[in-house]
Amino acid sequence: MLKHDIVVVGAGLAGQRAALAAARAGHDVALVSKLHPLRSHSGAAQGGINAAVGKEDSVETHIYDTVKGSDYLGDQDAIEFFCQQAGPTVIEMEHFGTIFSRSDDGSLARRAFGGAGFPRTIYAADRTGLALLQGIYEHLGTETIRIYEEWFLLSVVVRDGRVQGITAFDRKTLKVEGIEAKAVILATGPFGRVYGRTTNAHSCTGDGVAAAYRAGAALKDMEFVQFHPTALMESSILITEGARGEGGVLKNVNGERFMARYAPHVLDLASRDVVSRAIVTEVKEGRGFPGGFVHLELMHLGKEKVETRLQEICDFSRTYAGVDPVTEPIPVYPAQHYMMGGISTNMKGEASLIGLYAAGEAACVSIHGANRLGGNSLLETLVFGKQAGLAAAEFVGTAPDPEIRDDDLDKETARIQELWNRSEGESPRALRAELQQTMDQLVGIYRSPEELYRGLRQVRALQERYRNVRVIDRSTTYNIDLTDALEVGNLLALAEVIVVGAIARTESRGAHTRLDYPARDDKNWMKHTLARWTPNGPELSYAPVAYTRWEPKERVY
Amino acid sequence: MFADEKLINVPFDVYRYDASRGGEPRYQHYELRLAPHTPILTGLLRIRDELDPTLSLRYSCRSAICGSCAMLVNSKSRLACHTPVGPEVREHGRIVVDPMRNQPILRDLVVDQQPFWSRYEKMEPHLILDPKHPMPEGRTTPMSPAQVERFKETPRCISCAACFSACPAVEADPAFPGPMALAKLYRFVVDPRDTAQTHRLRTIQTEGLWLCLRCHLCTEACPKDVRPSERIRDLKELAVQAQGGTEAGSRHAIGFLKNIEERGTLNELKLVRQTSGVTGLAASLPQGVRIWRKKPEVTKSPPPIEDLDQVKKIYAALKDEKAEES
Repeated sequence: MLKHDIVVVGAGLAGQRAALAAARAGHDVALVSKLHPLRSHSGAAQGGINAAVGKEDSVETHIYDTVKGSDYLGDQDAIEFFCQQAGPTVIEMEHFGTIFSRSDDGSLARRAFGGAGFPRTIYAADRTGLALLQGIYEHLGTETIRIYEEWFLLSVVVRDGRVQGITAFDRKTLKVEGIEAKAVILATGPFGRVYGRTTNAHSCTGDGVAAAYRAGAALKDMEFVQFHPTALMESSILITEGARGEGGVLKNVNGERFMARYAPHVLDLASRDVVSRAIVTEVKEGRGFPGGFVHLELMHLGKEKVETRLQEICDFSRTYAGVDPVTEPIPVYPAQHYMMGGISTNMKGEASLIGLYAAGEAACVSIHGANRLGGNSLLETLVFGKQAGLAAAEFVGTAPDPEIRDDDLDKETARIQELWNRSEGESPRALRAELQQTMDQLVGIYRSPEELYRGLRQVRALQERYRNVRVIDRSTTYNIDLTDALEVGNLLALAEVIVVGAIARTESRGAHTRLDYPARDDKNWMKHTLARWTPNGPELSYAPVAYTRWEPKERVY
Repeated sequence: MFADEKLINVPFDVYRYDASRGGEPRYQHYELRLAPHTPILTGLLRIRDELDPTLSLRYSCRSAICGSCAMLVNSKSRLACHTPVGPEVREHGRIVVDPMRNQPILRDLVVDQQPFWSRYEKMEPHLILDPKHPMPEGRTTPMSPAQVERFKETPRCISCAACFSACPAVEADPAFPGPMALAKLYRFVVDPRDTAQTHRLRTIQTEGLWLCLRCHLCTEACPKDVRPSERIRDLKELAVQAQGGTEAGSRHAIGFLKNIEERGTLNELKLVRQTSGVTGLAASLPQGVRIWRKKPEVTKSPPPIEDLDQVKKIYAALKDEKAEES
């Protein structure tokens, strides 16, 4: 049996930061990832990372903006800690080697982002995620960490409420192995692929979140799904909020800057939930372009600015939409972008099972509450990745030896065998396509009870059909027919939790907009949703929101 | 926008092989109806969805940032997600898809990237700091936009290995680090925070820098315009500036430069001596004799060309430009 003190699953920014912290504390750390670490989805983050380092800005304002952005569902103690860590975190990443864009005076360049009182988003052109991912990976190379590259997570092994390690297989050989560990940190990112229209990579299938859920850990606030206002038509590839931060504007078919009607003070730089709702409303009310989209205009910024600060955006628009942003508007429409929900943790990254930790988008602390601000997710991966690594390191000092037993492995091998041996059945990709269609159509930006219930029935019908899913590929190396099947199982489990949470929450808050309950209901709903697995579907309970200083107010931009 | 495009017939011939099961590699034919702007990756995923779930490949972001889906498209190293089907079909009539070169094939379009990553690791790809000059405590290192400019396009590198796959020097010589590793090295050499420039340049001069064939196929293959061959050229320039002619490669470059300045043409015999010294010249003697027999003029010292003053002007202009830069 393989054995380490701490196993980190997922090698994006949060996973690598956690591994670094744990290794620095002197522990034997393994990093397990289904992709090479540099191929993680963190690298796709474009716009930037927030830190109130400007003279006119303050940590206090960053905290307030984040609390307000969360629609008062974020835990204020966690948000305070988070924003205080922003400056030191960015400095640390700069010292690790990250190459940021600079101002003329040699300091870090900053740009404006949605829902922020000041330009506080530090960036590296429009590939900030890639710059940070390279920086941390380079630095991680100076530590001794065992990397299980292209290993696929099957389960988190728990006995008597205590984590014993994980089971996983090497995609090269398909051999199921146990990796014993006193602590497991899940940093497997989001599950945006429950939607078809998503900016997320194909690999964002929530393998860690689903494994935690099946192992009995609580998930939090899963009904809060962020739709990014500006994704390219057809491909849903992300066009960074930084494009509007640099001065880009949204226009409808009449050439009108429609955001003036939805956010009179900050216009295009309102919070993402506000802008996404505005775009959907414009299109619904007949003011979209034929085909159902609006325009993002950058032409007035000039060729030089667009081509240097928004270099990737130029390439993406030209390659994937056939438009040149220097001379033409970009056709955009909202797409799923970020999961506010995830594995419920506290500020130290501790989940609800002993020895289980989570960080990054896989986790829900919660600092984003009902709506995340742009530029806060890269920061979250690093701040809470480190927290989880430190907490796990402290924990393993006194934790008993873990044990993975044969039946823990047999159970997972049997799960694969069952898929493998079925001589007839459905394609995992067909089920995935139907799931994505269901979620796109019925569990989107505006939510009605009829559609949500229909969505739930359809997701459960798909779960039923999944029992008959079949793997055709017979190879034991890079069998993506098999990983597709396992991933679809994870997506189906998590989609159900999203819909059940959305049905229960009879209010509108942040990204969760109920047509039948259009107002925020602080009296009844200022609380986190917790979901636990049962054989009959998720069981919901609720937990209070942590307050420090900010009284809920009406949210106006 | 692509809205008005008509669907076209897209014939794919895809390389199939499974190292875990052995057997002979083969090409499998598939046909799809696709809009011309459709990325090849989308086509391959449609094949998986609709025609053949056993086709294996690496992919993730579908937006040219994760670097997973490099492969050969009609014999050229390309990112599948960043290459539309239309122009390929127009030019070649079909789309032949093979796994990348210079890395062992594991299955279908999946290669073992160890040769690529191990060369990258050898570059000591992390900041090397002098303990006597630690990073400024509690603040960032000041860096001017001009200093950031010196990284050129290297921060855009997504490690997709398309350059590595395209490189004939990698194929010919296992000692050559390959374009990506050298572009990475350049990124550290010009980093004002790094303190190991001398060590890095000295090491790479004996460990493969001068093995580059200057064919620029890496620059042609790079989907992110990192221009690895130009960064290799930059590294050579920095190495010669900092350390002079310590290697055959750098001496050859210096000798070449001097030859042209003096005569406007090459003195091959002199160049051999400049590159390899008198002992090198002696070692090349048998080859020299063979050349002399076939083409005696090559071994003679050529007279300066007629328009040598033009050459001098070019050299003077280049020197002025350099002076201005610094």
